[in-house]
Amino acid sequence: MATLTQPVPSRDEPRRPNIASADVQLPAVRDYEQVDREIVGTLHPTVAWFIGLGIAVFFLFTGIAAWMYQIYSGLGVAGYNPPVMWGVYIITFVFWVGIGHAGTLISAILYLFRAGFRTTIYRCAEAMTVFAVMTAGLFPILHLGRPWKFFWLIPYPNWRYIWPQFKSPLVWDVFAILTYLTISSTFLYVGLIPDIAVLRDRENISPMRKRIYSVLSLGWRNTDSEWRHFARAYLFLAAFSTPLVLSVHSVVSFDFAMALVPGWHTTIFAPYFVAGAIFSGIGMVFTIIIPLRKFFGLRHYVTINHLDAAAKLCLFTSLVVGCAYMTEWFVAWFSGNEFEKAFFANRIWGQWWWASAILYTCNMVLPLSLFSQRLRRNPSWLFILSFTINIGMWFERFVIVVPSLSHEFEPWQWTSYRPTWVDYAILAGSFGWFSMWFLLFIKQLPVIAISEVKEIVPPKLRKAHPHGIDPAGRHFEYEADTPGEFA
Amino acid sequence: MRGVIGAFHELDAAVSAIEALKEGGVGAIRVYTPTPRHELEEAIGAPPSSVRRYTLIGGLLGVTFGFWIAIWTSDYWPLVVGGKPIASWVPYTIFGFEVMVLVGALSTVVGLFINSRIPRLTMMVGYDPRFSHGDYGVWVECPPEKAKTAEGLLREHGAVEVRLER
Repeated sequence: MATLTQPVPSRDEPRRPNIASADVQLPAVRDYEQVDREIVGTLHPTVAWFIGLGIAVFFLFTGIAAWMYQIYSGLGVAGYNPPVMWGVYIITFVFWVGIGHAGTLISAILYLFRAGFRTTIYRCAEAMTVFAVMTAGLFPILHLGRPWKFFWLIPYPNWRYIWPQFKSPLVWDVFAILTYLTISSTFLYVGLIPDIAVLRDRENISPMRKRIYSVLSLGWRNTDSEWRHFARAYLFLAAFSTPLVLSVHSVVSFDFAMALVPGWHTTIFAPYFVAGAIFSGIGMVFTIIIPLRKFFGLRHYVTINHLDAAAKLCLFTSLVVGCAYMTEWFVAWFSGNEFEKAFFANRIWGQWWWASAILYTCNMVLPLSLFSQRLRRNPSWLFILSFTINIGMWFERFVIVVPSLSHEFEPWQWTSYRPTWVDYAILAGSFGWFSMWFLLFIKQLPVIAISEVKEIVPPKLRKAHPHGIDPAGRHFEYEADTPGEFA
Repeated sequence: MRGVIGAFHELDAAVSAIEALKEGGVGAIRVYTPTPRHELEEAIGAPPSSVRRYTLIGGLLGVTFGFWIAIWTSDYWPLVVGGKPIASWVPYTIFGFEVMVLVGALSTVVGLFINSRIPRLTMMVGYDPRFSHGDYGVWVECPPEKAKTAEGLLREHGAVEVRLER
């Protein structure tokens, strides 16, 4: 007989207590059938879901109406005030791209690092990535005076006989964002194929749904050869996504860093943006996963241990971001550059002090609470904190974009910036757009990766079970959210 | 395609059945499993996946195309920006990298599809929906005269159901 990865203990060896450990991450999940039953069971639409979808669509239509008004009237209605010609749209673009990054971190980078806690949260984070990048991709188009000409940035043989300027960071952006959207969607879909096959096989009510799942599952049959190629392809996709996620936000940061504007023209921007992106994305993962685990009854899948581990990652990225803020201050002071020093003084104590105060409080101070294990294991606190992180990270981009443009080299150019109702409506519309896609996703496809969860559920064995569960599948009563060894 | 399919509740039963069938040289074996398991992989002893070749070729084509499109178009419409050379390799590395990731990843998926023979429009002989649920299936492709042996081996090692299929 082939060697089992876990040695089978002898019968007289004492059983382990029923708490999560490196071997048993989900003590309340007994077998594969339970995984199918509980996760497929989340797909039935509820009244609350329809209400949520209605609210999301309402916000989306508000944004669409504002955009139509902007196209009709011109970009002047969007609160631009020269030289502040980048405003809420670019801020929100960077915000949404950043949100996407945590999804790839959790699904690809943590996969390569074999971090066990990713298994139950990665599908959610990955879907979040795709929808966040879809949202982000709209903003450069919204920011254009003639949005219908956006495709001019894509290099293709054309009657104009001209090509994009490949030395422009905006063209780098197009390549990076389109590649990111394509690869993250592919990664999400490839991971979904075996799960859609489960849905196909479990669907007994609607022939139409069965047919749709059959087409989407591409005829997946769970053979050993399919799994062998799948595992290898998944590994390579993860290996491609890992440097991609680093490159995309670096390229986004180059939109700023390549310009000779105080506060932008620094070499720290690439790592600083990447760390900020991952930090904001983990915040959004908490915003999404904490209500989901509650309303879908999946608290024994996304356990407190998983939240605790993700909170540690959140704390770490917060410290990196805080370090980047302090490095910025230090470099401004140490450089001896008068413009840089004046700009930073204005950012922290001048006209934008309030935005900076929100940013530093939300991103540097409040996450320090995660040093406390009690707070890391408190979903309510994590949920509140995730909101402050989202707000803080939006203001981080505000503090990067607006103060720099409103306080450049020439004092006669110094000005202010105030977004208009069009900006706010489009911002709200972007949340509506994102939420609409996400809500549609969670009721059509599984939010927890079924086949990957089965990988961490101990299989049924004829002989004594290596994980303290006897061959009949009897196990101890699950102690909800018990602090465990695994974190 | 003729053969015998055995359904197993337990992983170790499926593993021992595979080993016995291999030892008996009954025929080609295909295993259905709800999730990939190292134990099954080890028992089957299949060679490493060839998806990696698609990844390598796709990545190389992508990086070449990325650099080429940036250099060729700049040369076609020469415009000096910031005193930099027409073909500046530093910023063009971004295109090389992004297109490498794009083409490399997509060709990996193509490799997965070709090797796994998907999309598949027809039902696979021997497949049962329970194999995506919780059971393991061991399919042995064999002529009718060997079917009895295969069935006996599958039952002996704990198959809960054995069927002849064609």
